Amino acid sequence: MHFLNRAVRTTALATLSFAMLSGAALASDNKIILMPGGPHPYFAPWERAAADAKKDFGIADVEYKVPTDWKLELQTELMESLASQGAKGFGIFPGDPVGVNSTITEMKGAGIPVAALGGCTVDPTDAVFCFATDPYKTTYTMTKALIAAMGGKGNLVHLTGLLIDTNTTLREQAVQKAVDETNGAVKLLQTVADTDAEEAGDQKINALLAAQKNQIDGIIGTAHITSEVAAKALRAIGDKRIKYIAFDDSPAVLDAVKDGFAVATFVQNPYGQAYIGAFALDLLASGKCTMKADAPWIKTPQTAHFIDSGVLEVTPDKLGTYKDDLKKLTTDIQSKFKATYMDCK
Amino acid sequence: MRAWFVAASGDLSVMTEQALQQSSYRSSFVMGQQAALLVILIALGALFTAKSPGFLSSFNLFTLGRSLAIDIVIGFSQMVVLATGGMNLSVGSIGVCVAMAGGYFMQVVGLPIPLACALALALGGALGWLNGLAIAKSGINSFVVTLASANLFSGAMLIATKATPLNALPRSVGAFGQMRVGGGWVSPMLLVTLLIGAALAIFYRFSVVGRQSLATGANLRAAEMSGVPVGRRIIAAHVLSGVLAGIAGLLTVARVGAAMPAVGGQDWLLPSFLGPVVGGASLAGGFISVGGAILGAALVTTIRSGLLVMGIGNFWLDLFLGLFLLAAVLAQHYRGNVPWRRRSREG
Repeated sequence: MHFLNRAVRTTALATLSFAMLSGAALASDNKIILMPGGPHPYFAPWERAAADAKKDFGIADVEYKVPTDWKLELQTELMESLASQGAKGFGIFPGDPVGVNSTITEMKGAGIPVAALGGCTVDPTDAVFCFATDPYKTTYTMTKALIAAMGGKGNLVHLTGLLIDTNTTLREQAVQKAVDETNGAVKLLQTVADTDAEEAGDQKINALLAAQKNQIDGIIGTAHITSEVAAKALRAIGDKRIKYIAFDDSPAVLDAVKDGFAVATFVQNPYGQAYIGAFALDLLASGKCTMKADAPWIKTPQTAHFIDSGVLEVTPDKLGTYKDDLKKLTTDIQSKFKATYMDCK
Repeated sequence: MRAWFVAASGDLSVMTEQALQQSSYRSSFVMGQQAALLVILIALGALFTAKSPGFLSSFNLFTLGRSLAIDIVIGFSQMVVLATGGMNLSVGSIGVCVAMAGGYFMQVVGLPIPLACALALALGGALGWLNGLAIAKSGINSFVVTLASANLFSGAMLIATKATPLNALPRSVGAFGQMRVGGGWVSPMLLVTLLIGAALAIFYRFSVVGRQSLATGANLRAAEMSGVPVGRRIIAAHVLSGVLAGIAGLLTVARVGAAMPAVGGQDWLLPSFLGPVVGGASLAGGFISVGGAILGAALVTTIRSGLLVMGIGNFWLDLFLGLFLLAAVLAQHYRGNVPWRRRSREG
C-alpha cells in the first residue's frame, strides 16, 4: 500500500510537472492583432505569418484582421473594438501615418503596445517601433539601378501609389534625388501617382504609354499593383526597349523579369514584417521586455525608431532562389531582434 | 417631445386643411417611428451585450459616443438642407476644407484655438453660401450644384494644402478628443453635439427663419406666394449646413489630433442622409426631426460598433446600412402618403 501510494504520488507529480512544462511552452496568454490599413494583396502573407508566429512562439492568439476599406476611421474603429475584446498588442500598417497616432496614444494609455509594420507612423508617435522597408532608401537604390540599365541617360517615368500616402512623397523625393545626381543626363519626364489600384492604374499607365511611349527610356514602378499593371502593359505592347524596374513579386512581374520586359524587381518582406512584429509585440505585451532607447535605430524622415525589414533585388538569375533568400532574411532578423532592440528581464 | 420634431406651418393662411392634416399624420408617424427606433436601439444594445460583454465596456461606450457625436453633426448638416427640400452632397468636402483651414490657422498662423475655429467655421459658412447662392439664383437642382461643388471644394483644398496633413497642432486639440467627462465614458464632443441639437430644435420650432425654411421645403410656390423669401431661406439653410459640416470637421480634427486631407469627402455622404432620414426627415422637404436624427445616427453607430465587437465581418455593415436607409424611405413613403390618400378619397 505504501508502495502504491508512493507510485501514485510520483505519477501525480510527474503529470503535474509535465502539465506545468507544457503550459510554459505556450509562452503567453496574449492576443496579438495584425491589421493592414485596408484590403491589399501586399498583406496576404500576413495571415500565414500570424498563424506561424502563434505556433512558433507559443502566443495564445495572433489574428489577422482587415478593415473593409482604406479609411482611417474603419481601422481605428476596428482597433478600438478589438481592444474592448481583449487584444493586448497591435501590429498595424497605418491607414494614415498621422491620423492613427491619437488612437495609438489611447492604446498606450490602456497598456496596449502598437507597432507600425510595413509602413511608419509619423513622429511624434507612441508606436513602439516601425518595422518596414525604407521607402526612400529603397526607391533611391531602385532608381540608381534603373539609370544604370538605361545607360546613364534618357527620359524616366515614375509610377507610384496614393498621392496622400507619405511613402509616396518619400519615393518621389528619392527618384528626384537620383535623377538630379545625373546632372541632366537623365530627365524625370513625369510622375504618375494614384496608380496602385487595378482600374485606375490600368487607365493611367496605358494612356501614358499610348501617348509617350517613344519618349520614355525607363520606367520605375514603386507600388505593388502599379508594378503588376505596368508589367502587363509593357508585355501587351511588346516593348523591351523601355527599361523597367518594379517593386513587387506577383507572377506578372516575375514573368516580365524572366522574359526581359523588366530589368529586375525589388521584393519586400511582408511575411517577415508580420512574423517578427507579432514576436516582438507579444514580448512587449507580456511585460517581459521594453524597447531599448539606445538600439541602432534608423532615423527616417518619418520616424526616429525605424527598423529596416530588408528588401531583395530579384534579377533573372535569382528568380528561382529569391523566396529562400527571403526566408533566410526573416530568420536572420528574428534571431537577432530581441538582443538588438529589446531590454528583457 | 413635440419640441423635437417640427412640422411646416410657416404661414397658416397658406396651409390648406389638407396640408395641416398631412402634417399631423406625419407628426404621429414620426413619433411612432422614433419610439420604434428607441426600442430597436435598446434591443440591439442588449443583443450585442449578450454576444460580447466588451460592448458595454467603458472604453467601447466612450469610443462609440465619440463617433456618434461626429455622425450626428454630419446628419444635422444634411438635415437643415433637407428641410428646405434640397440636399447637400458637398457636406464632406466642406467638412475637410474647414478641418484643414482650422489646422492651418492653429499650426501655421498660430492663432488661438477659438479664433482659428471661428475663422474656419466662417469658411464653412462661406462655402455653404456659395452653394445656396448658386441654387437660389440659377434655379438648378441642389443635387447638381452640390455635386459639382463637392469636387470643386475638394480639388481646391488638395491644391492649396498639397495633400499634406497638419499634425503639429496645439496639444489641447487632441486632448479634447481624448477627454472623458468625469473620467467616465462620456465624451465632451457628445455634449457639444447635444447642445447643437437643442439649438436646432429651438430654431426650427420657435424662430421665424426656421419656420419659413420648413415652409419653403413643404411647398415652395405656396411659401413664395405668401411672402416667404424662399431664395434667402435656401441660402441660409446652406450657410447653416456649411457651418455644421465645419463643426463635424473640427470635431474630427479633435478626434485624430491632426488636420488631415483624407477625412470627410464622400465618406460622409451616406451618414449624412442616414441619420435624418431614418429619424423621420422628409426627403421632399418641410419636415425634420432633430430627435429622430439623433436616434437615427445612434442606431447606425450602434450597429457599426456591435458588428465590430461581435467580430462579424464588417463587410456586412454597408449592406445593413443600405437596407436601413431603403426601409426608412419606403416606410416614410408608405406610412406618410397612403393613409392620407385613403382619407382624401373618403373625403
